[in-house]
Amino acid sequence: MSATPSILDSINPSQDADTSLKARLGEVDASMRVPAMLFLISSVLWLLAGTVFALIAAIKATNPEFLGATEWLTFGRVRSAHLNAMIFGWGNNVIFAVAPWIMGRLCRARIRHTNILLVAGVFWNIAVTVGIIGIMKGDMVAVEWLEMPAYITPLVAISYALVGVWVIIAFRWRQSDHVYVSQWYLLAAFFWLPWLYTVAQVMLVFEPATGVVQSLTNWWFAHNVLGLWLTPTAIAAAYYLIPKVLGRPIHSYYLSVVGFWALALFYNWAGVHHLIGGPVPAWVISAGVVGSVMMVIPVIVVAINHHLTVVGLHKPGWASPTIRFVVFGAINYTAVSLLGSLMALRNVNEVTHFTHFTVGHAHHGVYAFFTMIMFGAVYYMMPRLLLREWPNAFLIKVHWWMCAMGIVLMVVALQVGGWIQGLQMNALSEEGTPVYTFLEVVENTKPWLWGRSLSGLMLLIGHIAFAVNVFWMVFSPKTEAQKSQPTLLTPSTGQS
Amino acid sequence: MDWSAYILVGFLFAGLFFLGASAALYWAHKHGQLSNLEKGATSIFDEDEPMGEVTDSFPEKKRKADSGEDS
Repeated sequence: MSATPSILDSINPSQDADTSLKARLGEVDASMRVPAMLFLISSVLWLLAGTVFALIAAIKATNPEFLGATEWLTFGRVRSAHLNAMIFGWGNNVIFAVAPWIMGRLCRARIRHTNILLVAGVFWNIAVTVGIIGIMKGDMVAVEWLEMPAYITPLVAISYALVGVWVIIAFRWRQSDHVYVSQWYLLAAFFWLPWLYTVAQVMLVFEPATGVVQSLTNWWFAHNVLGLWLTPTAIAAAYYLIPKVLGRPIHSYYLSVVGFWALALFYNWAGVHHLIGGPVPAWVISAGVVGSVMMVIPVIVVAINHHLTVVGLHKPGWASPTIRFVVFGAINYTAVSLLGSLMALRNVNEVTHFTHFTVGHAHHGVYAFFTMIMFGAVYYMMPRLLLREWPNAFLIKVHWWMCAMGIVLMVVALQVGGWIQGLQMNALSEEGTPVYTFLEVVENTKPWLWGRSLSGLMLLIGHIAFAVNVFWMVFSPKTEAQKSQPTLLTPSTGQS
Repeated sequence: MDWSAYILVGFLFAGLFFLGASAALYWAHKHGQLSNLEKGATSIFDEDEPMGEVTDSFPEKKRKADSGEDS
């Protein structure tokens, strides 16, 4: 087989992987450099755009007149622009950088057909840009987490398929014997998302279901994008990075396999808990509650593995930017998932439903867990891709402290404020009349919403520090001093 | 589409999903992926990034460590 096989060679089922071609990690990193940097730079730009949208939306929650006269920036549009910029702009771009890189390293194979990833990256970012502009000009689809207009669907589907095919080709030609647990999570995630997206597009956009089925499909899709796409990719990164950085194998590898299959079995049911109290058949809700509570099993398993692997190595862990971010994310995975299981109980949900508690929970999952782990992955990946050091340790610390403290403030403000909001909305006098008027309840949330705006400002500062460091690293001229620093393990050129 | 069509599509997708997961589990068992798991846990280490070595730290600390080794 030639060193640079054609795509036809790569998809030929009769070809055998030649284990003599086992690549060293430096070679895998070098082959991923260009596509991974395209996705990474795009993701950082979307992160900044999404944060600005978020801040505008947060300020509007306490000061509705702020930019209120600009049609493109009304709350409904700017809030959806924020959500889609973060999920599809930041989240997916960073996954498309981190997941193929981890997959390539674990497969220990020279990376084939990186042009596929480049084409996918260009298409993906055109699609998200057109989609966000579509949302802001009023073409939004009124489905949570699927707001980008239907005319970008073909571009999204093509670019996603290209990344998915690439991952399968990389796995097909792996030169390693063992399939590591991160590979399981990544393969499953790349299998699950097209399945979710196809069903949601058909049943919500092209041939929309009506009534209860529409709501069920909506929340099945939206919750599973978190649970079967963002969650497995972030867990895969944590399972790779925590042992890799600390030089210690995962605490219980056996449990990690149990955790993977438990997630695959139970998460799919959980989204229905968003409709507790709605006109949905009771058995469907009960199944959703059971699925949500059963998620305690994979969560505890992942918690045991991630946390016990770090025990005793806190000092080197704290000295590593990667471990700081990834362990913060892992701790919050445990916290947000256990809280999520609690929120799925009917009597708890009676209080939290329709309040800021849910908004806090969403940010707890997507930011404190997923985003923080991805930050950690970027800190480990970029020096190895570019063969240069992070230019400024102070900016990393600003990024860390602003984002860690900012997201804690946001989650506490929204969840404490949301809980009080829920209690006040439900409060009844002895005569059975509401104790608080709706306007009073809204007024009482204001201090908590100011807390949320302040946390947004902290996150913006953190993101700017991160972006400055990233662009400084990418665009600064290479110097001899940088080459000699021990960032990275010696980049290798030979074969093992 | 009416209800029955949605149920049909739903069951079709659920069936495909179940078959896919079953095939993956069978493949993993057949190829020994579920045995000798503790050895599998060390498969991420190699001579470039070996077990027992911390491979990430803040850049300034690396410089100090580097100059300490040089001196």
